Amino acid sequence: MNLSNLLNNYEEAVAMLLFVIGFSNLLLQPNLIKKIIGMNIMDTAVYLFLALKGYIDGHKAPIVVDGVQSTDAYINPIPSGLVLTGIVVSVSVSALMLSLTIRLYRRYHTLNLDEISTQLKKEDL
Amino acid sequence: MGIWILIPVFLPVIVGVLYLMPFKKDEFGDGDKESLDRLHRLTAVVMVVSAALALLAAWSGENSYTWFELMEGIPIYFQIDGISRLFVTVFSIAWVLVCFYSFTYMGHEGNERRFFGFYLIVYGVLVALCFAGNLVTLYLFYELMTLTSMPMVLHSGSRESIMAALKYLFYSMCGAYLGLFAIFFLYKYCDSITFTAGGTLNLALAQGHTGILLAAVMAALIGFGAKAGMFPLHAWLPTAHPVAPAPASAVLSGIIAKAGVLSIIRVMFYIVGADFIRGTWVQTAWMTLSLLTVFMGSMLAFREKVFKKRLAYSTVSQVSYILFGLSVLSPTGMEGALLHVVFHAFIKCALFLTAGIFIFQAGYSRVDQLEGIGKKMPKTLWCFTFASLALVGIPPASGFISKWYLAQGALEAEIGVFRWVGPAILLLSALLTAGYLLSIVTNGFFPKVKDAVHGAVVAKASSASDVVQESAAAVAVGAGHGMDMTKAADAVQESASDGADAHHASGGEITEAPLGMLIPLAIFAALSILLGVFPNPLIQFVSGIAATVL
Amino acid sequence: MAFVQNFPFLTIILALFSGPLCSVLKSKAAKWVNTIVLTLILLMSCAVLVFTLQTGEAYVYQMGHFSAPWGNEIRVGVLEAFMAVFFCIVMLLCMLGGRRELAEEVEETKQNLYYVMVGLLLSSLLALIYTNDLFTAYVFVEINTISACGLIMIRQSGRAIEAATRYMIMSLLGSGLLLMGICYLYDLTGHLLMSNIKEQVAVLAATGEYHIPLLISITLMVVGLAIKSALFPFHSWVPDAYGYSTLSSAAILSSLVSKGYIFLVVKIFYRVIGFDVIRESKVINVLFVFGVLGMIFGSVNAIRENNIRRMIAWSSVAQIGYIYMGFGLGTTAGIIASLFHILSHSATKSMLFVSASGLTDVSNHDTDFFGLTGAGYRNKIAGVAFSAGSLSMVGIPLFSGFISKVLFASAAYETSGKLIPAMIALALSTLLNAIYFMKTVIRIYTPSHRAGIVTDTRVITIKEQPQKALILVLFVALNIGLGLGSQPIVNMLTQGLEMFG
Repeated sequence: MNLSNLLNNYEEAVAMLLFVIGFSNLLLQPNLIKKIIGMNIMDTAVYLFLALKGYIDGHKAPIVVDGVQSTDAYINPIPSGLVLTGIVVSVSVSALMLSLTIRLYRRYHTLNLDEISTQLKKEDL
Repeated sequence: MGIWILIPVFLPVIVGVLYLMPFKKDEFGDGDKESLDRLHRLTAVVMVVSAALALLAAWSGENSYTWFELMEGIPIYFQIDGISRLFVTVFSIAWVLVCFYSFTYMGHEGNERRFFGFYLIVYGVLVALCFAGNLVTLYLFYELMTLTSMPMVLHSGSRESIMAALKYLFYSMCGAYLGLFAIFFLYKYCDSITFTAGGTLNLALAQGHTGILLAAVMAALIGFGAKAGMFPLHAWLPTAHPVAPAPASAVLSGIIAKAGVLSIIRVMFYIVGADFIRGTWVQTAWMTLSLLTVFMGSMLAFREKVFKKRLAYSTVSQVSYILFGLSVLSPTGMEGALLHVVFHAFIKCALFLTAGIFIFQAGYSRVDQLEGIGKKMPKTLWCFTFASLALVGIPPASGFISKWYLAQGALEAEIGVFRWVGPAILLLSALLTAGYLLSIVTNGFFPKVKDAVHGAVVAKASSASDVVQESAAAVAVGAGHGMDMTKAADAVQESASDGADAHHASGGEITEAPLGMLIPLAIFAALSILLGVFPNPLIQFVSGIAATVL
Repeated sequence: MAFVQNFPFLTIILALFSGPLCSVLKSKAAKWVNTIVLTLILLMSCAVLVFTLQTGEAYVYQMGHFSAPWGNEIRVGVLEAFMAVFFCIVMLLCMLGGRRELAEEVEETKQNLYYVMVGLLLSSLLALIYTNDLFTAYVFVEINTISACGLIMIRQSGRAIEAATRYMIMSLLGSGLLLMGICYLYDLTGHLLMSNIKEQVAVLAATGEYHIPLLISITLMVVGLAIKSALFPFHSWVPDAYGYSTLSSAAILSSLVSKGYIFLVVKIFYRVIGFDVIRESKVINVLFVFGVLGMIFGSVNAIRENNIRRMIAWSSVAQIGYIYMGFGLGTTAGIIASLFHILSHSATKSMLFVSASGLTDVSNHDTDFFGLTGAGYRNKIAGVAFSAGSLSMVGIPLFSGFISKVLFASAAYETSGKLIPAMIALALSTLLNAIYFMKTVIRIYTPSHRAGIVTDTRVITIKEQPQKALILVLFVALNIGLGLGSQPIVNMLTQGLEMFG
């Protein structure tokens, strides 16, 4: 029963799996670039999940063409809107993280956050 | 009735805060002789006026005043009853006299403006503590008292005084939080937190929660007992009291330790009620702890060689006499305790002021240096003798009366084996008290070495080198044991203070103390004898109080 | 519709647009624009507060022309308006108090960018307070994170950038969880507006359908926000971020940014899920445990810390623990205590940061503990303010900290099993607080020549820095005001919380 549930909703399961992969990368990778990639995977997983929620089999993207106004013709537009908003957010956050990474790299010539911390401790002494 | 009962609280606090303000630095108190005189005059006037107002407020009838509501149902509330009167009178007399003594004494400690600033502030806080009409008000001023009296311990600013102040603060805060913990509980199970003779505990509500309530009462006892130097939170007292300048030690030991007693009286007899704790394990624990402290304090005092530390240990022991008197929960015991509050306050002030005079005039801080001092300072030593006799409890001096009542109270109470153990320990401790105080008197008047001057000098020189060795050894031990900081700090402090004092007294003949110090001392000594000779009005007054609460 | 009702929306927009405006201005102009905007927003928020108090009920402000289930809404009640007012006050004080440090520590050309960040931060805080839409809340959480990161890294030292990076990483983990939780909830209920979600959640809870997904969603959101607000054990970035950023940043981060997220937690409890459902889920027990651990752990670390800024930062970890412990009690009284502690902690912590910087100014900018010896004499007003802040943190009556402790304790009474652990945690953490704060107060009032330590001899008088002195006096007044006039504020919080549900 449970297994079949999982199989029937395999898209969601994949989204969750991706989310966990991204999350653990962001948390555990010492390399800053890999962390950023992890973050993007995590966000993408959420968008995948959202898109799945809005998708209705056989319906089209919610752009009115040929004057068809009926709601039966299109998928739910709100999740798509949310995905768009989310992408904007994740782009800006990625940009910020990348700029921080560049600064750190210029200063310490490494992408490894742990190494940066050790160097900082040495600076203090 | 009116806010005017708070004037004796605000006046000294405001003036004290103004002292601490940074303006007019050179003209007032920190400059030349004239500016010091100005400071002293102003302090004296404010002190006397506030004390007079406090006494007036206390003795002009029943009075209560709600200042404002801290929170809904928790007003900052003041009311005056018998206990307030008794304590505020004792506190005021002692505070004024010690203040006059300090004008002379503080000359060699420096930083007088700060000292008198805090001295005045603490007085205001103490008056408010005496007048406090409910638990939260009491707690508020109890905390403020701790914080404002700490700078007195800190006065010299040396490393050891900081350690001592931290210790003081730590123990007091520990105690206060235990007290606060109890207040939270009592707040739920009492009809009101306003002090009412006989207690306000709602027995119907408390039904079924007796265990936790007793634990809370015990927490309050240990917590507020910290200020009174009761075991197990007593260790700060012998460290902090001697580090302070002598007048500050006098009021810390004589007065502020009594604030702990006041708080315990308030919680036990005015909130919880004696009936609730009678016959419970709390009473047993209370009696055991206080007797233990009595005995331990006397023993430690007997062994102690530094004069002020010996007196501090004596305070530990004597304040627990009071707590024992309260713990037996009999009217006579309570009368004895309240009498001892009064007597011990005056006696201990006299003893510490004597110690201060020895330091001020001769630079002697250790007991063995005092050999033959009676020849040089007969008046001082006579005052000390009278006060000592009173503390030991030789009739007709005051200590005898209070100890008599304490013993009677124990004998007539329904407390099982403590009926006999209590008076026995009190007696034993009185003998030890005689041992540690009267030995100073006999050595002072009848030195073993014939040539007193020579002997004193030799004693001083040898003890100075002793102290250096001792402190070096103690530091080494402290380092060896890693964390045994207090011991090392104590030793360093002894040597430091001795060094400073020896420096002060270097050269010059040792003479009798100036009148400015001698007169307050003489008044304290006289009070400690006279109150024993004419005790009746006081006894009547305290028996009135005891009758209302028990 | 009264004109005042537009104000919440206008304040958000005003703050938002002051940012881009500052980016094209010179530093000096940007400074003034920022101050004026802050003051204006403060006044407008006051007007909103008065309005809501008068009408006595919350109102909904529709954004655009889409009505309820689809459109985006703002919802304003007493609690929201009061929080907005309070955040504005603290922010204004923090900005004014840290002006000089900002001028010293940040390049002239970059200073206007700082005000961009402050504008964005304020607008996101206001939006978090007012919004009725869960996804909007997420977007502004991210804006909040980005601008807070900017505040940390504006000081271009390696330490600050590293701290900003660590802060970003933790925050991103938190927002990832939050977003996931929101999507889950959207999947379950089909709504994004808080009021509509709540109706659906009530139906779900009544039928017992989708019990586990609902629980997961709640957990994801709450844990995400807990990570972002630095609840133990997600606090690792706090000491660096608060310790090495410029003064205003540290003050704002500790007193406002984390509080914005915490306020969102309250909103989720009351407006999204419903407090009864929250209480039945075991999430609050987790919060309680971690709150208590944080209280102890933060204080212990603060005792071991020798750098005054980092010490205050560790103390923040402990105070956040208090707030989550209050949530964990699972009673309305506990929430009110936590809300009051948000106020009290904001006022106190920012004061501590500002006064600590006043103390380090007269100690060769040495943040080390021993360098501060006697600093209380060299900068008197900072010494007094630091002492007042310490007393408040320790919980001496008359100051705000005492009231929050009383509220926590009396809230703990209403619970069955949490009374004893809560009381012990309160007592223990108060004691630990007392140790490190009093240690510092004694240190700054130890005359350095007597302690045998060579320190700076520079003295700052009130005349030299009248503005900072005024700010500190205002902080002290705010603190004592919270301590003495707590009852009306608690009443207001209670009223606001009732309107919330």
